[in-house]
Amino acid sequence: MKLNIIIGGAAGQGINKVSQIFSNVLSEHGYFTFNYRDYASLIRGGHNFNTLAVSNILIESHDAHADILVAMDKRSIKTHKQALKKNGILITGDQFKDLGRNINVALAGALTKILGIPLSALESEIKSQFKKPTEALEAAEKGYKTYRTSHELPKLKNHPTILAGSQAIAIGAINSRLQLYIAYPMTPATNAMHELAKDQLKNNLMVFQAENEISAASMALGASFAGTKVMTGTSGGGFDLMGETLSLQGISEIPLTVYLASRPGPGTGVPTYTAQSDLDIALRAGHGEAPRVVIAPGNPTEAIEKTSEALFLAEKFKTLSIILSDKHLAESEFSSINKPNKTPDFKIKRLIPGKNIVKKSSYETDKFGNSTESYTLTERNTDNRLKKYNDIQKYVRENFEMIKIHGKKKSRNLIVGWGSTSGAIKDAIHNLDAKFLQVIYCKPLSQQIKKEIQNADNVILVECNVTGQLGRLIREQTGIEIRNRLLKYNGRPFHTDELNRLIKSLI
Amino acid sequence: MKINLDTKSEITWCPGCPNHMILAATKETITNFIKHKKYTQKDFAITTDIGCHAKIFDYLNLSGIYCLHGRALPTAIGMKLGNPNLKVLAFVGDGAMYSEGMAHFIHAFKYNANMTLVLHDNQSFSLTTGQPTPTSQQGYISKASPLGTFDRPFNPIKLALASNATFVARTSAKDTPHMVETLTKAINHNGFSFVEIIQDCLVFNIETNSKDNLMHKIQDNEDLKKAERLADEFDYNSKSGKIPIGVIYQSEEKSLEEKWPQLKKQYKKRINTTRRPKIQSKLIPIKKPILTKKPIPPKKSTPTKQKEHKYGKKSKEKSSKKSNT
Repeated sequence: MKLNIIIGGAAGQGINKVSQIFSNVLSEHGYFTFNYRDYASLIRGGHNFNTLAVSNILIESHDAHADILVAMDKRSIKTHKQALKKNGILITGDQFKDLGRNINVALAGALTKILGIPLSALESEIKSQFKKPTEALEAAEKGYKTYRTSHELPKLKNHPTILAGSQAIAIGAINSRLQLYIAYPMTPATNAMHELAKDQLKNNLMVFQAENEISAASMALGASFAGTKVMTGTSGGGFDLMGETLSLQGISEIPLTVYLASRPGPGTGVPTYTAQSDLDIALRAGHGEAPRVVIAPGNPTEAIEKTSEALFLAEKFKTLSIILSDKHLAESEFSSINKPNKTPDFKIKRLIPGKNIVKKSSYETDKFGNSTESYTLTERNTDNRLKKYNDIQKYVRENFEMIKIHGKKKSRNLIVGWGSTSGAIKDAIHNLDAKFLQVIYCKPLSQQIKKEIQNADNVILVECNVTGQLGRLIREQTGIEIRNRLLKYNGRPFHTDELNRLIKSLI
Repeated sequence: MKINLDTKSEITWCPGCPNHMILAATKETITNFIKHKKYTQKDFAITTDIGCHAKIFDYLNLSGIYCLHGRALPTAIGMKLGNPNLKVLAFVGDGAMYSEGMAHFIHAFKYNANMTLVLHDNQSFSLTTGQPTPTSQQGYISKASPLGTFDRPFNPIKLALASNATFVARTSAKDTPHMVETLTKAINHNGFSFVEIIQDCLVFNIETNSKDNLMHKIQDNEDLKKAERLADEFDYNSKSGKIPIGVIYQSEEKSLEEKWPQLKKQYKKRINTTRRPKIQSKLIPIKKPILTKKPIPPKKSTPTKQKEHKYGKKSKEKSSKKSNT
């Protein structure tokens, strides 16, 4: 069973509040939800909408078509009328106009009734959210009474928790006892900063806003040198600015972890939408040749695990770790009952200033840490950096999950994808004869990928970018070109129904 | 503990370059601090940019990062965020700091981390063979500006004062005792201290050299209005003005380490040494609280100004003794 609810309105009308209240009610009722947020780069006005997908099994994506449309304004009706299914239900905000601020509570009341959930579930949610709930409770009841039940959802025994990708990154970092997060605001990476800043004192953490991304990365490197667990985060444009510091990391071998939440580019692009177009820069930003780790989690559970792994690997191998996410993962709200694996805890054991004399440099150095232009040392240092890449690969292969296989394990149809697209692929192949190879570690790349592709009859690449960046990476590493490609690059993620149709036509 | 600030690296500055004297002054200042058991050699950490000045990194046996061009300052602030107890010095050049790293320069005053910025100003990019920097004089002809530099240089001291600086000083690379004195005051300052060292380049932009006769030593100043007047005396452009050297402005404000509760917590307990440095009576005599009824008797010990002067003298005496024997 799967239902899709589109909730549309102008920015500032509180559509997020409706989906937030109602998805909490659904979770309490034992249902899984997935909430996709589609919003423009403005604070008031315009048209924003959320698509709330509801299911009795775990879902990580939403459909293009809706069973219910909640329209806060006329524009929402006009925009989404096409998407509403034949027997779909339209709920308008106009009828609750006189409720003022509580209009969104009334709409949540209407949704509660339509899905046959008892009013008490909504009431207890309101009581936990509002300090003075009286008016909100009345509004909820009014909304509840206005509609009739059309989908009967019996109570289930699941207890899913709702988490957005940004929150998961923050949890992963806190699990690893991060001490310092330095960043400059940029959508969609900022939410992770907000999450970490919120309880920074409680978590023994400091969140520092630098004057720009160059400074953020430089400060992070300086702090890491001083012996602190540190992380910085940004989106594509800011990541470009960090490029020189990533290169400095390569030669100075000071541990550094960067959270990169990408959005459609080039330039400012479509800043509040999503794309997987920054895999290339994550793999290659910075001049010169130096090892690094690039990890792309696909959902919040993985984001928690992989953030800890990134911090761990950066420290263990004194390398650069990049956690690659995007707007779709960072800002969509996933519900899950899966608990993240236990993450590796670590302590900083290297030499640090204050206790020792430690010299790190942007130049090639001799054994004292002072600059050298010697050809023998240049060659030796370069060899050592290359060797580190092999060490990282060996360690990751033995200890961490580099890829995941979903779907029908024996199928000869193989879908290859990564990152936030994984959710839509998993849901889309649910009833199809296909298996899905999810690439999590983009660098080092798993050697198993080659075997999987060779064993399949039909390989399809699914990505949210125009050049098939993972496909190119696989071709570079394995020599295999994936010809069947489903690429979406309009700033929107794949819808489950859309992707299901597209994959079906290829297998 | 034996103090050894030397390294085995070959010094590659031009013969006669004032950088040699800046290195000597830095070593003397740090040696004094270590000798007086205020800090240990391991407590210090330095960062440097890229440029002639930055080679000092290889010649000092201190912890640190040889950073990228223009990034010595944010990296140094990062070190303070990582461990607030480090004594951090950032060595930067006029080209790197004012061109590539200007945003960092202005914001550093705002953050007010307890560290020192040592700026070598020779009014040219010398390691890249003499292109004009933001403080090069108008009309400066170089390979990159054969038509002459059209723009008027800007005044970093005025900029620092406008950015809420809590310590601004200027010194001359030709006057080692004055450099030692100024650097000592800067390191002792609680907050971000900015020391500009006026320095000749013997190879490039030589027409700005030898401004020594224009320099005059000033008393430590705490008055912002006066500081602004002092800053105006030298415009980096003409050789007509006077160049005040000494502490142009100093004020008290909470440092980065005192503002952030997370850092404050670490700042109190010294991680690495059992010797908690005695806070020397500050350079600025603390103003009498207005509300107290009784007049506070004057302290017997004189403020440390003299003590700090002694630092330079003491070691000088010793070294002179050595040379005599």
